[in-house]
Amino acid sequence: MKKVVEVFLLFLLLVFTPHAKGTGNSPPGKPTLNRCRSPEKETFTCWWEPGSDGGLPTTFALYYRKETSETVYECPDYHTAGKNSCFFNKNDTSIWVNYNITVVATNALGSTFSDPVDIDVVYIVKPNPPERVTVIVLEDKSWPFLRVSWEPPHKADTRSGWITLVYQIRVKLEQEKDWETHHAGQQKMFNVFSLRSGGTYLVQVRCKPDHGFWSEWSSTSYVKVPDYFHREKSVWILIMVFSAFIFLILTWLLHMNSHSLKHCILPPVPGPKIKGFDNQLLKNGKSEELFSALVVSDFPPTTSYNYEDLLVEYLEVNVPEEQELMLEENKDLHDGCLKSECSTSDSDSGRGSCDSHTLLMDKCGEAKEEERQTDQERMGTEAEDMVSPDMSSGRVKTWPSVFSPLPQYSSNTLDEQSSLEMAKQHYLSDSQFLPSSTSSYLTQPGHGTKEALGPSYWEFCLSNKQPHLLHPQTQARQQLQAHSDVDISSIGRKQAPAGLQSPLLRPTEYVEVQRVNEEDMVHLQPVVSGCGQNNCSPQMPQGEDYSKVKGVDSDNVLLLQRNMMEEDRLKENCYTSSTVTTTQKPTAMPVQDEMVLGMNGYVDTATMCILPTY
Amino acid sequence: MAQRKTNGSKLFMMVLYMVAACSAIPISDLLDRASQRSDTLHSLSTTLTQDLDSHFPPMGRVITPRPSMCHTSSLHTPIDKEQALQVSEADLLSLVRSLLQAWRDPLVILSTSANTLPHPAQNSISTKVQELLEHTKSLGDGLDILSGKFGPAAQSISSLPYRGGNDISQDRISRLTNFHFLMSCFRRDSHKIDSFLKVLRCRAAKLQPEMC
Repeated sequence: MKKVVEVFLLFLLLVFTPHAKGTGNSPPGKPTLNRCRSPEKETFTCWWEPGSDGGLPTTFALYYRKETSETVYECPDYHTAGKNSCFFNKNDTSIWVNYNITVVATNALGSTFSDPVDIDVVYIVKPNPPERVTVIVLEDKSWPFLRVSWEPPHKADTRSGWITLVYQIRVKLEQEKDWETHHAGQQKMFNVFSLRSGGTYLVQVRCKPDHGFWSEWSSTSYVKVPDYFHREKSVWILIMVFSAFIFLILTWLLHMNSHSLKHCILPPVPGPKIKGFDNQLLKNGKSEELFSALVVSDFPPTTSYNYEDLLVEYLEVNVPEEQELMLEENKDLHDGCLKSECSTSDSDSGRGSCDSHTLLMDKCGEAKEEERQTDQERMGTEAEDMVSPDMSSGRVKTWPSVFSPLPQYSSNTLDEQSSLEMAKQHYLSDSQFLPSSTSSYLTQPGHGTKEALGPSYWEFCLSNKQPHLLHPQTQARQQLQAHSDVDISSIGRKQAPAGLQSPLLRPTEYVEVQRVNEEDMVHLQPVVSGCGQNNCSPQMPQGEDYSKVKGVDSDNVLLLQRNMMEEDRLKENCYTSSTVTTTQKPTAMPVQDEMVLGMNGYVDTATMCILPTY
Repeated sequence: MAQRKTNGSKLFMMVLYMVAACSAIPISDLLDRASQRSDTLHSLSTTLTQDLDSHFPPMGRVITPRPSMCHTSSLHTPIDKEQALQVSEADLLSLVRSLLQAWRDPLVILSTSANTLPHPAQNSISTKVQELLEHTKSLGDGLDILSGKFGPAAQSISSLPYRGGNDISQDRISRLTNFHFLMSCFRRDSHKIDSFLKVLRCRAAKLQPEMC
């Protein structure tokens, strides 16, 4: 019953008390001892955090109990350390003793106990910051540094060794953010180096017991590092200026002597000294041209070369002035560079000379051989040095008009016929001035009629002394007069003085050598064409039948070759060679035939004497 | 590090022998080295205790025996500064040596039990306990030699036998709790040793005030 009443009353109290008090009041919240600290290991202070006060004035009480006794003591000093603190003085402080401390918050409604805390004073030591921190700027060989000195907190008894403190310093420039921390150990002085001149430094010091907490940082000490000029810098500047100066001088010198230096350091590379070596070709990169230039043309000697290359295309014929005139008239007809200069000539110049010791045959042979370049058979013949005139139409310049009918010296000429024909045609064209009358030879060169082509005109230098001109004469031999001055032109122009009539020129007319008089003149007589080779008409004077010139021997003797007969040697001027038989000179035969065939209207040199006609 | 400490202790002993023979090394230096070693000792024990506290079972706090139940609590040591400063050097040294002597056996037991300690930081704890053992032994040996300098009073050592038995409890909680309790006792005693030695050092270095 009692209990029910007590409970009821308590319930009422609990219900009404808040209403009676108006606002929500409650017992105080639980306070918490947040920290206890001892600055010197002799006293200590504890601070607590009050909880909610519950709307009522709350009082706090701190109770502690030492481990050695069960007696609960209350805090002796609530005020020295401030609010919500309890200060334990020296008398109340025991070290190496556990304290069990509890804070109680009490208000009208109740009290609340905090959680008990066990502490040992020696473990909660946190000294005061060092005192009397002084910072001065000193110079160490013109380098400034800071000397920081301080005093331990006055309460800490470091003299007896009761507390051993270690210190820490931090420095920073005024405008910087990060501190530079230095550990100073137990010493009370410290030097800070590597400063920047002209700045304000902030210095702070703190300390810590050997087994405790760090103290707070001391108050900041400001120190201004004065501006100073680096003596080292001046030296460096001087050195740099000097070296720059020297560098400039060296550069200038180098520039002045760049050429000689270039020669000294980079001597010119000697070029190749190969004969025929062209650097330009090498640079162009055309190796073919380069190497072809190196090839010596005449090395190695070639075994075969075209003899015909040595032929002289153009022959200069040295004719007497009269002949020259005649030849000059013929120039229009043919584009021959006929030089009718009667002067001495050598075989090299290619000029035929009446006075030349060389017989006409020489020239004829040369000219002919030009024509026969392709024919190699003639290379090894006897008439090697006897070149035959070139019968090609374009080439035979000198000969065509004159000597075209005189081609066949060497034995075998395959293309003789053609050449002869060509020559003949040429001659025909050239010698269109051969009218029936001699007078009208040169006036109308362009007839081109074959009819005009009668006897072939040729100049035949038999000897040096007396060029003889052989005229194909249909007339009698008296017409044939070998004059030294006779030339073609004269033939052309002259009236047939001595009744020189142009015979009725038949296509093929041959003149045969009748005889040779004492004066070394060859008398010719026409041979009736159409005669067969062996069926010569009795018109043909019996005589020696010479069909062709075999060659000129070393005596400048013209060797005529008799047709199928023995060849006789003409004395001095006209010699017939010995008999030519097919067997002996097989080469003679075809030539002869061809010669015969080729002859139309003119007599070649070979047939100067008597040409068997067809 | 243990090897270094062993070498250091040997060197310390050699130095002490030399001191005994030649007294060339001043006491202050010797005490300085001794205090340094005790400092290390205490730091180790503090670290070890913090490691143990990281995983201390909440129940253990309740049943933790009081520090007054340490086996060395019977040793009467100064409880404040005035008392401490009034103790003579010889007495201080004797106290130190007694404490060191008292902890040789328990540390061995702690070392063996640390191998099977049900604790997450068991490896580091075991290592540290081992170091503690070595340090304590070396320091005790060195101080035994040094005590000859301090007169006959320093030679007396109070016997503080450990009665906890050869092995701490079997169950996990008890083991941890006992281990923690022992370590806390050692921590306090190491602090005492360190403090006494540093007081001795300061007293011996009258001519070198910067040491204190």
